[in-house]
Amino acid sequence: MKARQNISGSRKILSALGEVVLAVLTLLPLGNLSPNTIRLLFVTLVWVTVSVAWNLVGGFGGQISFGFAVFYGLGAYTAALAINGGINPVLSFVLAALVAMVASLLVGLPTFRLRGPYFAIATIGVSEAVRVLMTNFSLTGGASGYRIMEKGVFRQLDHYYAALILALLAVTVSIYIRRSGFGLALVAIREDEDAASDLGVNPFRAKLLAHAIAAALTGTAGGVYARYAAFIHPQGVFAFNIGVAILLMPIIGGVGTIWGPVIGAVVYGFVNEELVASFPQLHLLLYGTLLVLIVLFEPEGVVGLFRKGYPLLARIRRAHAVHS
Amino acid sequence: MPSILKVDCVTKNFAGLAALRQVTFDIEEGRVCGLIGPNGAGKTTLLSIIAGSVLPSSGSVIFRGKRIESGKSYQAVRAGIVRTHQIPRPFRSLSVLANVELGIHFGRSSNRDDSSNEAMEILEWVGIAHLAPAAASTLSVGNLKRMELARALATKPSLLLCDEVCSGLTESETASVLGLLRGIQKTGTTILYVEHNLKAIMSLCNPVVVMNHGQKLVEGSPEEVQSHPLVIEAYIGKKAA
Repeated sequence: MKARQNISGSRKILSALGEVVLAVLTLLPLGNLSPNTIRLLFVTLVWVTVSVAWNLVGGFGGQISFGFAVFYGLGAYTAALAINGGINPVLSFVLAALVAMVASLLVGLPTFRLRGPYFAIATIGVSEAVRVLMTNFSLTGGASGYRIMEKGVFRQLDHYYAALILALLAVTVSIYIRRSGFGLALVAIREDEDAASDLGVNPFRAKLLAHAIAAALTGTAGGVYARYAAFIHPQGVFAFNIGVAILLMPIIGGVGTIWGPVIGAVVYGFVNEELVASFPQLHLLLYGTLLVLIVLFEPEGVVGLFRKGYPLLARIRRAHAVHS
Repeated sequence: MPSILKVDCVTKNFAGLAALRQVTFDIEEGRVCGLIGPNGAGKTTLLSIIAGSVLPSSGSVIFRGKRIESGKSYQAVRAGIVRTHQIPRPFRSLSVLANVELGIHFGRSSNRDDSSNEAMEILEWVGIAHLAPAAASTLSVGNLKRMELARALATKPSLLLCDEVCSGLTESETASVLGLLRGIQKTGTTILYVEHNLKAIMSLCNPVVVMNHGQKLVEGSPEEVQSHPLVIEAYIGKKAA
């Protein structure tokens, strides 16, 4: 019972923190921030979206996919083609979501018949196949990449708010799903797929649906990023590194939780930036070491640390109250 | 009473091993049918086939006049057949209440909105309402068995398949679970009850089907079955010549 109170106490603190962060994020760019800081915040918000999206499938549903770069890349290219074709950016993002969603069904229909490591390996195969395909696809410039030429003046804040709205949408979807019967079904599938089926859950359909929603969010994030970057190439948006990064963010923050993937993405966004800037040759090694340490000592990620730390804080507060 | 379930010449081979051979029997609606047999007799395999999670190699399972075997147990659940597991399989990170709510959300043909109230009523009925907010991982074996039963009942089954629901329980826990099964029968639910505990089977079931080496040995009332020479031989062995 005490543990439950602690969890609900830490949950309240996290959601209050969430509200504060949201207010700050909305108002922040109105201050005198440098374009580079806004860029960092923009990229971090894009990461938040894909991290939260992956968590729907990998965290709630327990289906570890290395293939989310496929949706990110397809979303990026779809939006790029649409914007160059004169379509309004918002509509381009919707198209990006739709294409990623269709791709998620094509990937999911065969791969969700596999379980555990076999599913994970299959997603690596799909991801690499799509990357090679796009590298040789002449319509989008192949390995040379594709440039987006949007008419009008470049306004960094437009991009920033697009990323903020998308990240908010992703978190809202995640909260809604986790609290719904569908969310219960996903967790049940993660814990024991056969037992879930024995209670009437259609695991294949639930996994496909979660995958489609996650792909739509990831594809849109790819589109938002592509519009900002104005230049994309397969080694960038379809890279295996991207697929791994998308998976690692929720693991850093706390896989299967609502706020863990958000925290993981923020940590990744900032730490990755610092590491790349400070140790261009060593950043992957340092990042890998950080991950190994997290997985070894706190598999529940930052949220797990917070949950463990909250009772300690409560005890200290009580001790203070007694003394005063 | 009409039969709710017809098991017709069901055979199941796992590679070279015949787990079930030409098993045939019917269950009348509203009855509690016992299924007993020594270890390895094929009881759980048969239960899995009826529950829709395993396909038979040949033969058919007909529930309310329709063949149900598809290898997909969620379809059988929505048709009205649900099972409990010999070793409870809770969703450990979910609360006891959420475990039961899942059955309400997904196990019925139509969805219910007030799932949490109804789940609480079911938990009250099986006697673990006070544990509703607790994580399923914290439950004792006895309470896990009750939760399995509650989860199954949440799907509003017409046919409940109970796989050794009393194994690992103390005598008083067994008596209380048997009381629950009697209560379930009174609501008109048909039960197929696999059990090693003969006392439990004999006090609750009629008819009783006895299996051995994947075949049906005998079927009859508890008294007939108990004194049947083939059953005695299967459990105790032949008299030395």
